[in-house]
Amino acid sequence: MNDINSQKTVLHAQNVRKTYGSKGSAQQVLKGIDLRVLEGEFVGIMGPSGSGKTTLLNVLATIDRATEGTIRIDDADVSKMKDAELSAFRRQKLGFIFQDYNLLDTLTVKENILLPISLSKMDKRMAEEEFNIIADILGIKELAHKYPHEISGGQKQRTSAGRALIHRPSMVFADEPTGALDSKSASSLLGTMEDLNRKRDVTIVMVTHDPVASSYCSRVVFLKDGQIYSELYRGDKTRPSFFKEIMDVQAVLGGDNVDVI
Amino acid sequence: MTLFELVIRSIRKNIKHYYLYFFALIFSMSLYFVFATLQHDSSIVERMGADVNFATSFRVAGILLLVIVAIFTIYANSIFLKRRSKEIGLYQLIGLSKLGVARFLIIENMLLGLGALLLGIGCGALVSRLFLLILMKLLGFDVIVGIAFSAAAAVQTVIVFAALIIFTSIQMTLTVYRNTLLELFNAERQGDHPKKPKTVVAAFLALLGIALIIYGYDLSGHMVNDMLFFNMLLVLLSTILGTYLLFRVTIGWLFYQFRKRKNGHLGLLNSLSLAPLMHRMKANANSLTLITVLSAMTLTMVALAYSLYFSAESDTRISLPYDFVFENKEKDAKSFGAELEKAGIRFDHQPVDAVRLKGTIRDLQGKPEESTQGMLFLPAEQLQKAGMKVKVPPKGEAVLYDARVNLEGRTDKEGMGFPKEIVLGKRGETKMRLTNLVVQYVMNFNVYGAQLVTSENTVLELANNMPGSPGYEKVRLDTYQVPGKAERAKASALYAKYVSKDDFEPDFHTQYEGALHSLGLLMFISAFLGLVFLISTGSILYFKQMTEAEQEKRSFKTLRQLGFDVKDIMRGIVRKQLFVFAIPLLIGILHSIFAVKAASILVLSDITVPSVIAMAMYALIYFVFAVLTIGYYRKIVKNAMS
Repeated sequence: MNDINSQKTVLHAQNVRKTYGSKGSAQQVLKGIDLRVLEGEFVGIMGPSGSGKTTLLNVLATIDRATEGTIRIDDADVSKMKDAELSAFRRQKLGFIFQDYNLLDTLTVKENILLPISLSKMDKRMAEEEFNIIADILGIKELAHKYPHEISGGQKQRTSAGRALIHRPSMVFADEPTGALDSKSASSLLGTMEDLNRKRDVTIVMVTHDPVASSYCSRVVFLKDGQIYSELYRGDKTRPSFFKEIMDVQAVLGGDNVDVI
Repeated sequence: MTLFELVIRSIRKNIKHYYLYFFALIFSMSLYFVFATLQHDSSIVERMGADVNFATSFRVAGILLLVIVAIFTIYANSIFLKRRSKEIGLYQLIGLSKLGVARFLIIENMLLGLGALLLGIGCGALVSRLFLLILMKLLGFDVIVGIAFSAAAAVQTVIVFAALIIFTSIQMTLTVYRNTLLELFNAERQGDHPKKPKTVVAAFLALLGIALIIYGYDLSGHMVNDMLFFNMLLVLLSTILGTYLLFRVTIGWLFYQFRKRKNGHLGLLNSLSLAPLMHRMKANANSLTLITVLSAMTLTMVALAYSLYFSAESDTRISLPYDFVFENKEKDAKSFGAELEKAGIRFDHQPVDAVRLKGTIRDLQGKPEESTQGMLFLPAEQLQKAGMKVKVPPKGEAVLYDARVNLEGRTDKEGMGFPKEIVLGKRGETKMRLTNLVVQYVMNFNVYGAQLVTSENTVLELANNMPGSPGYEKVRLDTYQVPGKAERAKASALYAKYVSKDDFEPDFHTQYEGALHSLGLLMFISAFLGLVFLISTGSILYFKQMTEAEQEKRSFKTLRQLGFDVKDIMRGIVRKQLFVFAIPLLIGILHSIFAVKAASILVLSDITVPSVIAMAMYALIYFVFAVLTIGYYRKIVKNAMS
């Protein structure tokens, strides 16, 4: 574990709480979460429906605000930032992959991918180079001038991944990225994400309810009723054996998706 | 729950969707009611008396208004239905029969319509007084008007309204019966995707669009000849077709070239303006063309009407340079002068002794240009004394004064080729040089004969030498000018008794008042229709943009999540809205500039100022709608994250 401690902390959340509703009917979704993500980690967040995993992701990704607690990303306290600062911060430091891709229908694959750097000062030649590298890794270079309605779901999600990476963010948040994909496209996408994580040192936090998806991670965090229930490190384990471990924890945890594959 | 309860519940729940349609109905109803009220108003009818023109103008305008209102309501209804298609599908999905859904929609439509009718008549009754005041002011009547609620107008409105409700109900029933469930559920997601244009064909059509418009513009400049009607049709056709191609192909093609050159590095601004515009170009080509062409027509109509009204005084002055003219009525003239003196009215009296003859004008090669016409030879020295700005031509030469050459389309033929020759006498034995043409009158236009100005001596010579020639007549013209405006009106009343019913001997004041009445009415009707039209087109654009904004909500959410803030996104949207609103307006204005220029021969005065004022007013109101849609977009972008 020594080499892990020497790594830089990218995200540090302390005592994060989130309450929805007004005083009378307040409902606490996150009940004090502490989470530290190191540079180069691929963290999966799992949990049954209603455990607060998407809320946690939104709060960590600065899309939603925590009611209480502090979140530091890249040594910046995002919980104290104003909306305008947060927007700029998201645009420069974070990448997003959504379950339903959220590509802009009116833009081509390339235009979608280049969108996050459209307001930055990066010059065109460098942007072109960066695009070529990423599109190569994701295998979507030939699709550059196609529109989203002309490509498959898997290709759309790769485009979305490209958009999340083009500006070299400090970390990437993925919300059920395989949720709308068939199993083949899903495993291919996850393989690519794992590759990116290892080779390009991209830090990823991914929410999923699918044990197969989380078996690609380097660490899986289990949520239950708004609190961290347990954590699993993959270490040097093979993916199948890590998958089994995840299934075991999930069986204890209960909730949905306990069916054995 | 009965069907009726369901209807009430649905209206209450969906008020957000309904207000658009509801507003369209109220707006149509109140304007129609205002118009009907004016039509039936006794204070106008009394003053205009048995003026047939007045009644006809109002009737024609009423029909036009009806057409606009009907198109507008049906269009608003179709947008409204499209927005609700999912709901209509849902009712069928849970087991309501098509008949049931149709009945449901019709009951709802009637309830909404009844509300709109009452509100519309209420609003109409409130503002009709204002419109009546404006009309009276334009017609030059200085009276305080009281207006009573017009029952006849209300009845007329109810009838029109009932027809509209029947139309929209049929439209709703058709939507329910014609569409499958699948179509209903997908209606909101429709939108075409930009296709790669076939370069050669697209480039050709793109250029053709521009070429057609330029051809139309060019032709409009010189279409006054024997083929006037055919030319007008050709101008209309080529400009409209050109406009359509412009929207359907040219703009899309230019966008495509621009985007291709960007090679994916589009930038946020273009992603939010150019990309969605290209996405909807095909679907929007029709409506943008329609809006452009109709804007051009409205602009032309309003600008011309305003110009005519604005120029009423100067135009009358050009036709009638003198306030009063007596032709060969020296006795009357004297007694008129005496009356003026008695009434204490200041005036200038100047007699002009002219000679009238029949003759022809021909060029120096001897080819006659026109058949024999009446000619009035006027002595320049006396005209100068009467206050006209004329030069004295050398002995034996004449200058033609005619303010209407433009209208008669003769500038091309007669504007050039001077000097020419005037041939007089029984066998054409007397000749005179015609050196030039001046676009101006030096005698009231009703005095018969082409106005030829020569030196006093030349006129005397003609008077002495020509008796017995065809059409020879000595003409004594007594001209009177009354400088004071109020005094001129008094003088006009005194003058009236000297004019027998069969003669056309107008004085300036009477002529001007008459022009003011008919042009004021024209002005009012075109401004009213223009306003209705402007608000309808503006609203249609606004409704369309609202729907588009709703459709793009998800994109805005994504962009906000990716870290673009409201300001960044709004910059792109403002650019898109400017395009959507400004392009039809600019092209419409350009069209109308050429149309107004072509029609400006109807007006003797220069109409640049009134046309610019009218167009600026139009553009200003039009842009209010652009600002409204931008506001709507801002609301959507701001709330996109929640």
